[in-house]
Amino acid sequence: MASPSQPARSALVAKLMRPVARPMAATYRWVDERMGISDLTHQLLYEATPRRGAWTYSLGSATLIIIVLQIVTGMFLLWTYVPSTTEAWESLNFIEHHDEFAAIVRGMHLWGAYILLLVIGLHMIRTFVSGSYKKPRELNWIVGVLLFLMVLGLGITGAMLPWDQAAYWTAMVVTHIVDYIPLFGSWIQQILRGGPQMGPETLTRFFAIHIWLLPALLVPLIGLHLILLRRHGEHGSWVNYQGVATETEEVRAERMASAEYPYPAVPSDPGYAVPVDIDDFFPSQVFKDAVVSFALVLIIFVMAVVVGAPLERAANPAALNYVPTPEWFFLPLDQLLVQFPQAWMIPVGVFVIPGIGTTLLMLVPFLDRSPEREPWRRPEVMVPALFAALFLIFEALLAVNRLFNL
Amino acid sequence: MADHSQDLAKKRLSRRRFMIMTINGVGAGTALLIGAPIVGSVLSPVFAKRNTPWVLVADISQVPVGVPTAYVVNLPIDEGWSVPPVPRTVYVVKLNLNGSGAVEMLTLSNVCTHMQCNVHWDINFKAFLCPCHGGLYSIDGTNIGGPPPWPLFRYEHKLVGSTLYVRNDLTGA
Repeated sequence: MASPSQPARSALVAKLMRPVARPMAATYRWVDERMGISDLTHQLLYEATPRRGAWTYSLGSATLIIIVLQIVTGMFLLWTYVPSTTEAWESLNFIEHHDEFAAIVRGMHLWGAYILLLVIGLHMIRTFVSGSYKKPRELNWIVGVLLFLMVLGLGITGAMLPWDQAAYWTAMVVTHIVDYIPLFGSWIQQILRGGPQMGPETLTRFFAIHIWLLPALLVPLIGLHLILLRRHGEHGSWVNYQGVATETEEVRAERMASAEYPYPAVPSDPGYAVPVDIDDFFPSQVFKDAVVSFALVLIIFVMAVVVGAPLERAANPAALNYVPTPEWFFLPLDQLLVQFPQAWMIPVGVFVIPGIGTTLLMLVPFLDRSPEREPWRRPEVMVPALFAALFLIFEALLAVNRLFNL
Repeated sequence: MADHSQDLAKKRLSRRRFMIMTINGVGAGTALLIGAPIVGSVLSPVFAKRNTPWVLVADISQVPVGVPTAYVVNLPIDEGWSVPPVPRTVYVVKLNLNGSGAVEMLTLSNVCTHMQCNVHWDINFKAFLCPCHGGLYSIDGTNIGGPPPWPLFRYEHKLVGSTLYVRNDLTGA
């Protein structure tokens, strides 16, 4: 119940705003007639999404928001950063000591990367546990794995750019790993380093890869990820398909017939083309997405202000007492370097095992083809995946123990 | 009759077919014109010629036998514009051969052959130790433990009196 004065006040506001509102509305109509913004907005916002488990679906949009944060903070790091072996460290050292806000931007770029990797991990786990990669969404799972690999690539190339001790030795190890590629290894190493040894061209190359090459591949692939998502509709969690295995033909036919766009997903396992209960993307899903994304950006901001981004001493190729440690997300791989010693075993540790793991990850939709969605009813994929996750954690802990003597 | 005219049409280059072939050809040509210089520039480090001049290390007459001694050398590595020269550590090792009195001298690179981290001489271990993945090398640079696949690289060296010069032939570190 509005108070009697409410309509009067609204009318007054409308009258006062008229000189501004009328031309604005006219301009919007003019643009909309030519671009179809209203139709597009309506299509994007009022699409059907699964109702249950919606908080967990916010991880995908959180990933997108943090990638945007990375792009924006990255752009403004270029305000100061110089991609040169003689000045990269100097420019960041200047930021850290003379430009508090730029130091926060740098901190947000670093913590954004860390949180991004965590959120992508959770997003993948969510998708895996729900069996969302099943028919017809196999391709989108593969696109997602490619995006994950690109983000790892962005992480490791970004770690090289400060050209402090940590960056220098990360670059050294990464560019030396490729030397173990059979036949072409030394060529690829020279192409990446600008020669047999690290030099000024090593940094410019990884700078170009980090700010242009990988993002130029990443952004269109994100577009494809979203187009495929919209084409099939969100699958959601298994909780949206409870009882579909035992429902009668009539009930199922009725569900398919009354499906809202973009459902029913085609081709699909019988019963899984439409979630049992749906809701509009806006505002119920967008609300959850917004809350989760804000919480994550807040964490990134707080970490940037409180902890910030470290900058070690400037790169010194002659240093004798420096102990290089890998970024935390490469700890399992670093441990494999220790566990596979000597010339012929090293490629097994750096290429064969991670290669098999990545291939299996990509092939998940083709290895798990039963219509079953509930995680505890498909132990044949859940148990191996659990062991793989435990293996990665175990390797990381071994590496931590080795490097930090805990 | 119909069959005959169709055969003729197949043999003749139709207007449509000509245009499709041209589009493909011009597309490939454009890609080649843009791609060739890029591929060339990407591959150029592989074929670049490099200078490997002799570099002064120090007067090494005071280096004791059996104790690897580190010298920092500004090696011009000739990668890119290489400004300033990159400091590298050279370990000078004097070894007494079988107690015969003859002394062999080695100039070892301190770059680990596993992942190219810097090794250092550890007095307690009596070995070169790599902090990255635990590689171990004996005093003459032989890989004796951990993941390193090869012994430490030996710089080419020459003595002028007791003054040591080294040269990096770029085959190793």
